[in-house]
Parts: sequence; structure tokens; C-alpha cells
Amino acid sequence: MMKNLLNFGLVLFAFLALISCNNNEIDDPFPSELVEGCYIVNYGSFGKGGASISKYDYHNDVVTNFYNEAQNGGNELLSNIQYAYPYNDSVYLIGNSSDQLITLNPFLQQTKNGVSEQLANPRFCVASGDYLYISCLGANPDWSKFPGSYIAKFNIKGNKVEKTISLPGGPEGMEVANGKLFVALNYKDSIGVIDLKSEVVSYISTPAVTSYFVKDKSENLYVTLVSTYNNFSTESGIGYINTKTTKLESTYKLENVSSSYGSVIQANDDFSKIYLITSAYDANWNLTGAVAEFNVASKTFGAGSVISGVSGISGISVNQNDDNIYVFSASGVTGAGKMDIYSTSGNLLKSHAVGAFPIGAFFLQ
Amino acid sequence: MRRFILMVFLICIGFGVFSQTGFSLSDTIMIQEVVKVGELRKYQPGAKIDEISAVQINLAQDGGIENVLRRFTPVYIKSDAGGLSSIHFRGTSASHTTINFGGINLNSLTLGQSNLSNIPLFLFDGLSLQYGSSSTINGSGAIGGAIYLTLGDKWTDGIKATAKTTIGSFGEFMSGAKVYAGNGNWESVTRVYWYQKENDFPFTNHYTGNVENPGAFSDIQHGASVKNKGFLQELNYRFTKSQFLKSSFWVENSWYQVQPNMQSNYHYTETQVINDDNVRIWTDYTNNEHRINFKGGAGYVHDMQVYDYNETQQIGTDRFIADFQASTGFSTGLGLKAGASYKYINPDVYSYSDSVIDFEQQVDLYLSSFYQVTRGLRVSLNLRQMFVTGFEAPFTPSLGAEYVFRTGSESILKLTSSLSKSYRVPTFNDRYWGVQGNPDLLPESGKNAELGVQFQTEKEGCQTSIGVNAFFMDVGNWIEWRNFGIWQAQNVLEVVSKGIEFQSNTNIKLGLAEADFTLNYTFNPVEPVKNVEENGLLNRQMNYSPLHMGNASVGLKYKMWRIFADGQYTGWRYTDDFGRKLPVFFVANCGVGYEFDFEHHNLDVTLSSNNFLNADYQNERYYAMPGRSFRLSLKYDLNLEL
Repeated sequence: MMKNLLNFGLVLFAFLALISCNNNEIDDPFPSELVEGCYIVNYGSFGKGGASISKYDYHNDVVTNFYNEAQNGGNELLSNIQYAYPYNDSVYLIGNSSDQLITLNPFLQQTKNGVSEQLANPRFCVASGDYLYISCLGANPDWSKFPGSYIAKFNIKGNKVEKTISLPGGPEGMEVANGKLFVALNYKDSIGVIDLKSEVVSYISTPAVTSYFVKDKSENLYVTLVSTYNNFSTESGIGYINTKTTKLESTYKLENVSSSYGSVIQANDDFSKIYLITSAYDANWNLTGAVAEFNVASKTFGAGSVISGVSGISGISVNQNDDNIYVFSASGVTGAGKMDIYSTSGNLLKSHAVGAFPIGAFFLQ
Repeated sequence: MRRFILMVFLICIGFGVFSQTGFSLSDTIMIQEVVKVGELRKYQPGAKIDEISAVQINLAQDGGIENVLRRFTPVYIKSDAGGLSSIHFRGTSASHTTINFGGINLNSLTLGQSNLSNIPLFLFDGLSLQYGSSSTINGSGAIGGAIYLTLGDKWTDGIKATAKTTIGSFGEFMSGAKVYAGNGNWESVTRVYWYQKENDFPFTNHYTGNVENPGAFSDIQHGASVKNKGFLQELNYRFTKSQFLKSSFWVENSWYQVQPNMQSNYHYTETQVINDDNVRIWTDYTNNEHRINFKGGAGYVHDMQVYDYNETQQIGTDRFIADFQASTGFSTGLGLKAGASYKYINPDVYSYSDSVIDFEQQVDLYLSSFYQVTRGLRVSLNLRQMFVTGFEAPFTPSLGAEYVFRTGSESILKLTSSLSKSYRVPTFNDRYWGVQGNPDLLPESGKNAELGVQFQTEKEGCQTSIGVNAFFMDVGNWIEWRNFGIWQAQNVLEVVSKGIEFQSNTNIKLGLAEADFTLNYTFNPVEPVKNVEENGLLNRQMNYSPLHMGNASVGLKYKMWRIFADGQYTGWRYTDDFGRKLPVFFVANCGVGYEFDFEHHNLDVTLSSNNFLNADYQNERYYAMPGRSFRLSLKYDLNLEL
């Protein structure tokens, strides 16, 4: 009996030792308790610094501004952050002035130098396998036709740009679907399509220039159609692209879709709704920002804006945990921006001050 | 505060009115003004107007006018090391200062301001500054201050010529010449210059972003070259001593690379280029032979800016200007001047729609007057009303007073005071830029109160002038470009700027030696007191507005030798609304010169060093500034009488 008890005790001790060794807190270098949150990308002032990342703990409703500096020994971001993209165990920041790709770990710590070679005026990025594709306007852009714009193919493991793929027309937002890279061209009435194996470029004609994509559960895309100063169009709204046939199958018109750069289109968790930044005139004919809602099932926009009256709107994001809509705004580039959190029905839940000129957010789990 | 200033103003006037202690100023009292500054002061006795001395102009003649302003005046110049610098009088923005040449305000009508680096000091004979508002004299935009670029009244009889060349560190080269020819009535003055600077200076780069090998890096500045060239031709004719015709034709080309910030410089691959072409023509006729004096002028200005060689995106304007004024002086000490000016402006900007703006006309009507109440007291009243196509500009009055009394046999004390309103019509870009132009903008409107005291003395070869000015300025409907869904100019702020300026000049002569000392100090709190943005900056020092500034200079002359040194202190500046600051910096310059004097010509050789203490500083956050540099200048003067 005593021997059995002793054996049982040994087995129990071994089991406890085993499960204690399997604790996630030790094995996982980036435990979710420390990483989980909403990270707001604050662009700052072009060429004058001020970029930062704010962290929002939505469980406890706490915002930590300049979080990136706290995580990096006080060192500030030396580029204006045009876009942030979490992929695998890294967060990639697309930096302007200076132009570079900055790689952070999920704690937002930078442990290796940014890459600037062959990245002239980078705008956006998206990953496929071991590669990150980065849209670039090219050196000394003409701000009209962008003959020198291109896609940089960045080898994540090698940490360098392997090659560039010429793509005139001012590439902006991108998405990967069905083995192809879809590139919104902001200065040409087309979407560039690059076959990721052959790297052959083809185009989808669009009724207006485009800016950003969202991808549905079937890997098809919705793209913003925008009217800009250089390419005026009455056909603003969103377009639906069948990525297998590589065709623009439908367009859904909506006036005053934001032609700003940043996060202007987002979908909710189950992709039943797409939110778009628009502008609308208030009762006093002041132009203010709004958020329109597109019902994916009925393929219709809501009769009115789900959120309206946002002065200086500069980006949106959707928390995939609760579908709350995060609306960012800023009137200038040197002062604090604002994050307003709305319910799906458009009720304002909370407001927080964030960094200079927030343009969007990403979520880490 | 306004009541207090008003009360002091009235007390000042009242004190003068009842004072009966007349006097005459000694001829030997040092009054640093020339005819043109005197004309300005005549109708603005309460205003603070200073003239940069010829010696100071000679020391900072290589490059734009920002150099002389930075070194010898209490005015903040925000600049990078390349080709961009802007002026900020008393905490106001660059568009709140007019830069006047003849009847032309040089400020771009599209941007509303001037790049001081594009205005070469070498082309001019004088430069004066007016502190505070002067919209009643200078029209729209003169809220914070005014600069006057002047050409001399030489009426050359013979031939005079000046040629100067300078070589310096970091690829600096300047060459210019002025030729004066005339017979005492006819006069031709030709001025040409060429200036270039590679600006490839070394600096310590603290912003490399190198996390693998952190620390400062010894870097070299790239992409900050400057190339400016200009030609200014005067043709003048004097009918009689008080009746003359003057004309000037100025062509300028300014080219510069947009200096990359330090982090971009570390990864330097490219930069942009800005090219400005300007043509400025001004002709005026003056007749002072009658009881009523006349002056009429007309001019043409062509401004064109091209960004990065992109000819499809030109930003330019053409304007025709005419000005006519009549003035009279009464024996009773009453002076009156009335005038009108007209501008026809035709913008040529790629982003303006012809259906919105094809041309604009502006008419200004103005009336200036002064009254010599007693021998020591002079008061003035100025009025101005501007009319703009499709826009309503405010009526602008100003009052001024100056009371001078003797405090000893060789010293005087001058009390000055002024109250003025000012305004600025929004720029063309503010109103017409693409879909973002805002036709509903209101003009900026300022209220300015000024109180000054100046003590001047001359004793046994020592002349001293010490002045203290206190000012209060309230600028409402302050315009900034903000994001209101789209980026647009809006009336967003009310800003209060107040402060104290101290200035002193001393000149001592001891036998063959002569010494000059200057000292300037400014204390200038400037804060927004209203902000349309809920969480916007309020009741805190504005960004890039130093609370404290000062500079000092010393010049020693012995026979043909000259030694000089000067230093500028710039206090900390906020750079954003989060409270980040740029630290204090102090830059010192020095040099030595020798003049070889011959019968009809002389040669001046000067060796100087800028930033000889090698201060490592930033005037604008993230932009490197050059360390110690050297210059060798040769200046040749020829003076032949026919």
C-alpha cells in the first residue's frame, strides 16, 4: 500500500512537473496577456517627425500613448508611418521620410535595422508566404502618372528587397487572393494584377481610381472607387472583384468616398458589413466626416451614415472581438488626435486622445 | 490689459500736450535713419522702426537677408540649412510680415509669405524693420512686422563700382558687382550677383535609427544645394532736386534642393528641387516742388514657382500695381498724405479653376496724417480701407504718438506709443486651391499696442542708444490649414503675443580706434487664447516661438583693420503640441578684415568664421545645421568722378 502510494506520488509529481513545463507563459515568447490590444498608428507630420503608436487595452479601457517609445528605450519612430501590417510574429511598418520598412516584434520592439534599399516612397504592404509585397511610388514622383512606381518584393527571411516589379499608376493598397496580388492604382483607372508565380502584370479596368481593398471569406475583394483631384469621377463607391475570374463584377455607387490615405475601408468579423469613410455636409453645410455601412448580403448601402459629424476624420478600424467601430480623427499633424469608439448601431461609447494624426489601427491577440 | 495700454497711451499724449519744455536736438546725437526711414517715421511717430547699419549689412551680405536679420535683430528666423527660411516677428507667422520693395510687397500671393533665402542682401543698399502692425501703411499682411528693402539716393556723378567675391566652406561661392554711372541727373545703377552653396557640411547624426549599432554617426549633409542669381537695373532721372523719376527692374532666379531631414539623409537617395523665377519692375515719379507734393508709381510682378521640374504643376501670379499719393505739409506742423493703390492680379496656378478665379482686383485707399503738437510731441493718425474682388476687408486705423525731451545737454529721452489695427486677406491658395479653397474665410484681424522708451546720449566720443519696447498684440481669425474632412484653410485661432524688446547700440571713438557694441534681447510669450478645436493647443507657448532670444555684437576698427564678433542666443522652442522641445542654442561668428586704400579705389579683404564655436544645434527639428565654417571675401570699390 505504502509502495503504491509512493509510486502514485512520484507519478503525480512527474505529471505536475510536466504540465508546469508546458506552461504557455514560458514557451510563448509573446504571451497574449502582454500583447493583446488595439494599436493605433499615428502618422505624425511628414518630414517633421511625430509618428508614434498608441496602445489601447480595450478590456480595461486604457490608452498608452507613445507606446512604441516605452518599448524601445525612449527611441522615437524616425519615419512617418504610412501603414502597419502584422504578419506572423512581426509587425511591419511602412515608413516615409525616411523611407524604410521597419520590423517590430509583437511587443513593438525593434531589434534589427529598417530596410531602405529599393524602397522609394513606400505606401502599403501585404504578405504571401515568405514575401512581403510593398507598393512604392518611386523616386521623384511626378504626382500625375507615376511612370516610375513599382512593387518591391521583400524576402522576409533574407530581410531585403529581392526585386522590383514595375507598375505605373501610383500603387496604393494591395491584397493577395487566389495566387494573385491585386494592387489599387490611385492615379490610373485600373487595378494592377500580378500573378505571384509568373509575376506577369495585367489590369482590371475600373470606372474610377482605387485606393484600398477588403477581402471576404471567399477570397474575393471589395475595393474603394474614389474621385480625386487628378482623376475626377462620378463613379465613386466600391467595386466587387471576383479574384478567380479577375473581373470587376459589380460596382456600388456612393458619393464622397474618402480619397484620403490610411484606413478608409474595413469589414466586421463575419464580413457581413463593410464600413467606408465618406464626407457629408452637416446642417450648416460644413463638410464633416462620416462612416457609411455596406450590407454585404443585400449589396446595399444604408440609407444614411451609421456615424456622422466627425470633424477631421482620418481613419477607421473594426475590433473583430466585438465589432465596435473605431473612428480616428485629427485636425492637425502636430497635436493629439482622437479615437472615438462606436457600437455597430453608431452609438458613441468612448473617446480617447491618441498621438498625432492617427490613420488606422491594427489588433494583436 | 488693453485698458491699461490705452491709459498709458493717453497719459503719454496728455503729458506731452501739457509739457512746455521745448528744445532742439543736438546735431551730433546719433539718429540711425536715412531719408526713407525718416519718411516712414514721419507718419508713424509711435512705431518702432530700425535700420540695419551699413557695417552689419557688409558683414552678412553673402546669401539671403535672413543672415543679417538673424545676427543683428531680435527677430526669430526659422530655417533649415538649405534654401528655406521664414521670418516670425513677435511670434507671428511668416505671412504676417510684409517685405516691401518700392511699391511692391514681395510676398507670394499664393503662399502669402516670402522665402528670405531668395532675397539677396547684396542687391540692396539698405534694410529697415518695422516692428508690430503697420497695415495702415503697408496694407494686408503687415500684422507682425514689415521689412523695407531700399536702394540708395546717390545721384551718382561719375562712375562708382563695387565688386565682391566670397569663397567659403561647404562649396559656398558668391560673386557680385554694382556699377553706378551718371552725371548727377541721369543715373544708371546695375547690380548683378551669383550665389551658390553645396551645403555638404559634416554633422553629427543622432537620428540614424540604427538599432543594431546605436549611437551618433558622423554624417555629411546631402541634397541641400542652393543656387541663386539676380540682376537689378535702376534708371533714374532727376529733373530738379525735388522732382525725379526712378525705375528699377529686378530679375531673380532661386533654385534649391529641399534639405532632407537627418533620418532621410542617413539613407539618402533623392531630394526634391524648388525653382522660383521672379520679375519685379517698379517705376515712380516724385514731385515735391509745389505746396502739394505728388508721387505716382506703377509696377509689374511675375512670380513663378515650379516644384521638382514638374512644369505641369506651376504656381504663379502676374500682377500690375499702381499707386498714387499726394501730401502736403502745413507750417503749423500738420502733415497730410492721401493716396490710392490698385492691383490687378492674374493667377497661374495649376490647381485653380478659371470658373472660380480668373483675376482679382484690389484697391486701397489710405490717409496719413501727423500733427506736431509741441516741439517735442508729435501724434499721427493713419486710416486705410481695402477693397477686394468678392471679399470684404476691414477698415484699419492706427494712432501714434512720440514725445521727445532732453534729459541733459547731450542726451534725450524719447517716449513712443501706438495703437493700431491690422489685417490680412487670405492668400489665393487659402481661397482657391482646388476643391479645398475656402471662400468663406474671414480676414485675419489684429490689434496692436506698443509702448517704447529710448534714451540717446553722446558724450566725449561715446554715443549710446538704449531702447525698451513693450507690446501687446491680439490676432483673431488666425488662419491655418486643418483637416476638416478635407484639408482646408480655416479661421481657427485667436493668438495673443506680448513681450518686451531691449536694444542698445554704443559707438566709442578713441583716436584712430573705433568700437561698436550692440545688444538685443526679446522676451515674447505668444499663446493661442481661443481654438476652434476642442482639444487644440490653448494658453501655451506656440510652436517654434522662442520665449527668449538675444544677440550681441562687437566691432573694433583701428586704422585699416577691423575685428568683429557676434553671437545669437535662441531659447527653447516647442515643436509640437505634446510638449516636445528643441533646446537652446548659441551660435557665434567672428572675423578680421583689412582695407587697402588707394586714391580712387580700395580693396577690402575679410576672413571670417561662422559658428566658430561649432555649436551642434537644430533650428527646425530633425534638420541639421552647419558647424564651424570659414569665408574669405574680397571687395573692390572704384570711385571715379567724371
